[in-house]
Amino acid sequence: MKLKLLMIVVVLAGLVAIDRPLFAHHGAAAFDMTKPIVLKGATVTEFLWINPHPLIKADFKDDQGNVQHWTMEMGSTVSAQLLGWTRTTLAFGDVVTLYVWQAKTKAPVGRFNKVEFSDGTVMRDTQTGADDGGRADTDVRQ
Amino acid sequence: MRNWYTGAIAGVAGVLVLGALAAAQNTQNNAPRSPWKYYPMDRAIGDGGPAPKRDLSGTWAGPASGSGAPRQKPEVVPPLTPLGKQLFDRHKPIGKYSPGGTNDPHTRYCDPFGFPQNMTQEIRGMTIATTPNRTFVMLQYMDLWREIWTDGRTLPANVGGRGRDAHDPKYNGYSIGRWEDDYTFVVDTTGLAPETWATKSGYPHTVEARVQERFHRDSKNDLTLTLTMDDPKFYTGQFFLGEVHFRWIPNQQLDDFTCIPSEVQLYLKEMGDPAGSDPSAAR
Repeated sequence: MKLKLLMIVVVLAGLVAIDRPLFAHHGAAAFDMTKPIVLKGATVTEFLWINPHPLIKADFKDDQGNVQHWTMEMGSTVSAQLLGWTRTTLAFGDVVTLYVWQAKTKAPVGRFNKVEFSDGTVMRDTQTGADDGGRADTDVRQ
Repeated sequence: MRNWYTGAIAGVAGVLVLGALAAAQNTQNNAPRSPWKYYPMDRAIGDGGPAPKRDLSGTWAGPASGSGAPRQKPEVVPPLTPLGKQLFDRHKPIGKYSPGGTNDPHTRYCDPFGFPQNMTQEIRGMTIATTPNRTFVMLQYMDLWREIWTDGRTLPANVGGRGRDAHDPKYNGYSIGRWEDDYTFVVDTTGLAPETWATKSGYPHTVEARVQERFHRDSKNDLTLTLTMDDPKFYTGQFFLGEVHFRWIPNQQLDDFTCIPSEVQLYLKEMGDPAGSDPSAAR
């Protein structure tokens, strides 16, 4: 009886957990969703509040001192604003830690996951903003 | 041990209930509100009362807008005819091929979705307005409008033909509408521009396709739209295009939301094309 009740709870918790998208919109087919690349101490060079996807552009210095120029897309402006994003959430010169699901082509481009600001604030993507790559906007998106 | 299980269950259930309640509340705070500004998290409360009769007018928030509209029901595709499959196989939809590999003209160039796709995609906001002989559906996405004639005329028979009196196919087709009862407005459309896709997933349609929309005013705050398509040249049965739900927007405002060709080109150059397409996506 107790085990059955616990299983019901686990199932219910699973139902409200962030669902993983399959091919929603254009989906994440082009990106490696197994593990995000972490760009610690990246400097934002541009934040383009555009459609179909806002773009975050940032420079990241790797362990060898090489500067990589990254571009990552996030959820549409109308979706992102439901999570509190505005056209000024990121700005030129911001030093942040960016998490990105890199393209399978291995180019320095990808789908944005989340950003950690120096004050500890975290802002997430909509469609792939959960730590497991699932949606982070299920509470507000409907 | 028994109390631990009971406590755990109660705790999780409590979190679930509180979460649902928080989502259901109108999130309006006490800060001054501008009548010009769209507040996406402001939701109409409840059903607002009974539906007014023969009245769809107003500004509505659709799926994924944050309005709390029930989830959209997806398309149900009937079998394709050989001709329909031939055209479908040419289409590389974005959901499978990503921006870098798709040939969806809207994704690559901001070409119009066309009807009926523009009533199932990016349908976060729309306004319906009525004049004595027409009803207009004005779509937030792409700032476009559809014209539905309600003066009793019939649909044109000769669209896309070669004769002098032939009508040109149009992105939104030719539409007529009538009230089936006091709460159901039925729209029939034909004469669709054949280069557009019926759905985002790449299903084609002919000029002669007949699409029917049924707008049902469920309550003051709720509107439901169902769409079906009959296109015997491409499909052996009726195509269910979807069921879309809308909620009344409290201050009747919408944001700008459109596809801008220069932004799309920038996006594809900087992101979409470098990211490429999933290698396993080849059809």
